[in-house]
Amino acid sequence: MSSKISRRNVLASGLSLGAASLLPAYTLAQSKTLVAATFPGTWNEAHRAILKPAFEKRTGASITQSIILGQDQVSRLIAAKGSQPPFDVAIFDSPQVLDAVKQGLIAEYPVAKSPNYKDLLPEFQDKWGPKISMQVIGIGYNPKKITTPPKSWKELRDPKYKGRVGLTALNSQLGIAFLAELNRLNGGSETDFEPAFKALRELLPNVGAIGANLGAYATLWQQEQIDIAPYNFNFVQTLKGKGVPVELAIPESGPVGWFTSMHIVTKAAEPDLAMAYIDTHLDPAVQAAMMKPPFDVIPTNSKVKLEGAITQSIAKSHAELSKIRGFDWEKLNPQRSALIERFNREIKL
Amino acid sequence: MRFSESQLALPLAALFVTFFVAPLSVLVALSLVTEQGGNTFTAVHYIKFFTDSFNYSILFETLLLGLKATGVCLLFGYPIAWIAARAKARWQSVLIFLVILPILTSVVVRTFSWIVILGRQGILNQIVLGLGLSHEPVQLLFTEVGVVIVLAQVQMPLMVLPILTVLTRVDTNLADASRALGAGEWRTLWRVTLPLSLPGIVAGCILTYSACVTAFVTQTLIGGARLIYMPLQIYQQAIGANNWPFAAAISVIFMIAVLALISLFGMFGRRV
Repeated sequence: MSSKISRRNVLASGLSLGAASLLPAYTLAQSKTLVAATFPGTWNEAHRAILKPAFEKRTGASITQSIILGQDQVSRLIAAKGSQPPFDVAIFDSPQVLDAVKQGLIAEYPVAKSPNYKDLLPEFQDKWGPKISMQVIGIGYNPKKITTPPKSWKELRDPKYKGRVGLTALNSQLGIAFLAELNRLNGGSETDFEPAFKALRELLPNVGAIGANLGAYATLWQQEQIDIAPYNFNFVQTLKGKGVPVELAIPESGPVGWFTSMHIVTKAAEPDLAMAYIDTHLDPAVQAAMMKPPFDVIPTNSKVKLEGAITQSIAKSHAELSKIRGFDWEKLNPQRSALIERFNREIKL
Repeated sequence: MRFSESQLALPLAALFVTFFVAPLSVLVALSLVTEQGGNTFTAVHYIKFFTDSFNYSILFETLLLGLKATGVCLLFGYPIAWIAARAKARWQSVLIFLVILPILTSVVVRTFSWIVILGRQGILNQIVLGLGLSHEPVQLLFTEVGVVIVLAQVQMPLMVLPILTVLTRVDTNLADASRALGAGEWRTLWRVTLPLSLPGIVAGCILTYSACVTAFVTQTLIGGARLIYMPLQIYQQAIGANNWPFAAAISVIFMIAVLALISLFGMFGRRV
C-alpha cells in the first residue's frame, strides 16, 4: 500500500471531516443536553453549585449553563428567530420579559405540569415563566468611612460626600431603577422624568465616578474610589463575601426592586427538560440552599422560611416581601433609549 | 492543471468577502432602515446624527483622543525603537521582549491593573501623597488624561515594532557619513535617521491610531461613563437601547471618519 497522498484521498478525508462536523447534532439529541442561560457573578455560581446537580439528579440529563446578560439574550434570540434558538432556558429581569413576550421569543410556561409552581407566592406566579427571585436596591455605603447608615436617598446630595458618590450608567438595570425611584420621590411620573434629571443635576457635584457597566462599578467599591452609591442587595452580598467594606441601607422610603424570572424559549430544543429545570429552581430545598451565603438569593416559594441577611435589611416575612415596590416597566421600557440618551447628555463632562 | 498567480488569491478573496464585505454590507443596510426588520429605506439615522451637536462632539472627541494617545505613543515609542535598533543583538532581543510583553496579557487584565495604579488609593496617588506633592489624591481615573496614559501604554508595541523594523534596515553607513561630514548626533537624527524611518512612523501611527479610537475596554473602564466616546455610544445604542439601526449608522459614520484620518496619515507619509 502506498502512503502517498493522492488528490482523491485528500478529497475523501475532507468530505468525511465535513460530515463529522454535522454529527454533534445527533449525539446531543441522544444524551439530552439542556442549554440554559445564566447571569454572570453570583447567579452563575449559585446555578452551578446548587441548581445543576439538583437538575441532573432529577432528570438524568446533562446541562450546559452559558453566561449571557439579559439584554444580550434578547438580542441573540432575535438574531436566531425562525431557526433553532441558541439556548432553551432564558433568564430575564422584569423589563426584558415584556420585550421577549412582544417579540415572541418565549413560550408560555406549562403551569399545570410544574409541581412546585403552585407553592409560589402569588406575586411570583406568571404564565410567561415563574419569578425565581427579586433584586432589591438601596443605598450602598462603605462602613469604614460612613459610620451612621444613610436613611434617605437625599443624603447622597449631602456636601460632605463631595466626590465620594458613585453612579452607574443607564444601560444597567440598577441605573434605570435608581433613576425611576429618584423620579418618583421627587414628584415625577412615568411620562415626566424632569424631576429625576433635576435631582441628578443637583447630585452631580458630589459624583466622583460613574461606572460604565456593573463590572466597573464593582471595581469602584473594591478600590474604595466611592463611599456611597445606589446598589443592589445581591451585589453588596457578593462584595461583602470577598471582604470589600460595603453595606446596604434600605432608605425610609422603602425597598424597591424588580423580579428575575426564567422562561422556556420559543422553539426550544428540549421544552420538557427546560420546564424541569425551571421547576427545580422553584423547589423549596433548592431555594433554601440558594438563600444561604454567599449566594443570598431571595426565595419566591412560600414554603421557604426567610432567613439570614435578607431578614436583616429587606424583608422579615413573606408579607413584607410581597410589599416591595416595583416599577411600571410597561411604561418605562419604551423610554429607555431616550432616557439613556438624556442621561449621557446631562452627565457628560 | 496550471494555476495563474492571481488564482492563488482566490481563497483569501472568498474569506474576505464572506467575513468582511458581507457583514459590512449588512451593517450599511441596517443603518438605512427605519427599524430593525423593517424594509423602508431612509436616511433618518444619519440626519439624526448630524443635526445633533452632542453626537458630533462625541465623534470629534474620539478622533482627538486618538491623536493625543498616538502622539504620546510616538513621543515615548520612537526613542525606545531607536535605542533597541542600536543595541547589541542580545540586548535588542531583551528590549523587544519587554516591548511585546504587554501584548501577552489580556487587555482587560492590563486595564484593570491600571485602575489599581491610577485609583484614589492607587500606587501613583500613594506616591504623590507620600512625597507631599499634594494633600488630596489626584483624580486620574475617569479623566481624559488617565485614558491617554493607559492607551499609550497598552498600544505602545504597535508603535515601536514598525519603527524598529524600519530603523534596523537603515544603512548605518549613512549615519556615519553624516557624522564624518561634521553633523552632530542631533542633527544626524533630525536630518538623516528620522526622515529615513518615516515609513515606520507612518505605519506605527496608523496602527496605534486605529487601535486607540476603537479601544472600547480601555475607554470605558478608565474613562467611566462620563467620558463618552464613539465605541461606548455604539454599544449603548445597540445593547442598552436596542436601537440597532442608529447604532449601525453611527458605526458607519465612525468608520468613515477614522478611514479618512488614516488615509491623511498615509498621504502625509508618501509626500515627505
